[in-house]
Amino acid sequence: MKPFFAQIERDLLIAWQNRQDLGVMLVFFVIIIALFPLAIGANASVLDPLGVPVIWIAALLAILAGFDRLFAQDVRDGWLDQIALSQLGLGWYALAKAISHWLTAGLPLLIMTPLMAMMLNIPLQQWPPLLIALLIGSMGLTLLGVIGAALAEGARRGTALMALLILPLAVPLLIFGTLASQSDRGIISPHLMLLGAVFALLLALAPLVAASALEIGETETGL
Amino acid sequence: MTNNDHIKTARKAAPNTADHSLQINQLSVLRGMVLVISNLSHQQNAGDICCLTGPNGAGKSTLLRTIAGRLPAAGGHIACPVPIIYVGHTDGLSGAISGRENLAGWAKINGFSTTETAIDTALSSFATNRFADLPVRVLSRGQRRRLALARLALAPADSLLLLDEPNAGLDQASSRILDDIVQKHAMAGGMVLAATHLDFAAAAKPRSLHLPGLVT
Repeated sequence: MKPFFAQIERDLLIAWQNRQDLGVMLVFFVIIIALFPLAIGANASVLDPLGVPVIWIAALLAILAGFDRLFAQDVRDGWLDQIALSQLGLGWYALAKAISHWLTAGLPLLIMTPLMAMMLNIPLQQWPPLLIALLIGSMGLTLLGVIGAALAEGARRGTALMALLILPLAVPLLIFGTLASQSDRGIISPHLMLLGAVFALLLALAPLVAASALEIGETETGL
Repeated sequence: MTNNDHIKTARKAAPNTADHSLQINQLSVLRGMVLVISNLSHQQNAGDICCLTGPNGAGKSTLLRTIAGRLPAAGGHIACPVPIIYVGHTDGLSGAISGRENLAGWAKINGFSTTETAIDTALSSFATNRFADLPVRVLSRGQRRRLALARLALAPADSLLLLDEPNAGLDQASSRILDDIVQKHAMAGGMVLAATHLDFAAAAKPRSLHLPGLVT
């Protein structure tokens, strides 16, 4: 397990040096949320039911926007060559990447969410289901993003390609996530369980898919 | 399958040298649709230094990357039972963090010694201590190269060093240090395969493997 944590530690060190990226992502999240009421107009009866969906859409876009360079830098630096020869292996490497990316993008977003919920006038009793659903949803989206970034690695227009690949696959997370967030049957709703099932599936699949995508991509683009 | 035939012939041809040696049998590698390496056979025993020579595009880097497992072989067979340390064109260093952090992270993912003294000794092997704590992005090409080569000091004694133009960007003093490290590694029972010009580690009288180049 030591090599696995070493990879996470390395990514966190690099993320700390590039911490302005985090600021950009958070401002992006806030701006999307702030734009919705401006476009819809000051009508409380329309705006109130839109609060939770707006937070979900903003979180989806903000999380996926940070993925285009997830593997690109490691490929360019030659770090991926070192990973492939190391004890770590590409699958564990991809999982380590997902964890460090969630810690540096998903978690700060989650911390910002109560502030956004206040801004959108979401009632206090809705906060716990929203935060729990967003916790699982953001982890699922991160795993999806890792798949997309690995598949699009080395391709021209990688970012656009990634959005095309990933956004349709994010539909189940979005449906179950928004339903679970608005559940009036307590925190543990059937929708939350389905959201958890999608997350569990992604947790098992994403490292394998990403590893084989990186393997193929590297043999085609390597020096 | 032809692949299995090659494995069988490899075992028949060299039954007793297979433990700590690099065996390449009738290797062919494709890049795109071009055959870059065709029917290459090469054998290297513990303690051997071998220089890989040939014109540009002859497939020197391709051969090293294939041995490192980063490119698939179209035919033939490679066997290498010892750990492989690869220093390629790209140094494998992140520009955002320091050379010391890069080296310690590399040692950890490979399960090598990561004590303060081990890292310090490795860093001082190429006299990198003075700039090892600066972010790598502010360093020169040669300084990055020295940090990448500092890994060799952490390599296990029996490992195979694959070096792709290791001298590129190095000053004379560092080139001499590299020669020294490579010769010591060979004397300790390791193997070295380096794509470089012939005066590399000249004192150890390295063998040479010439790739004529199929594409002109």
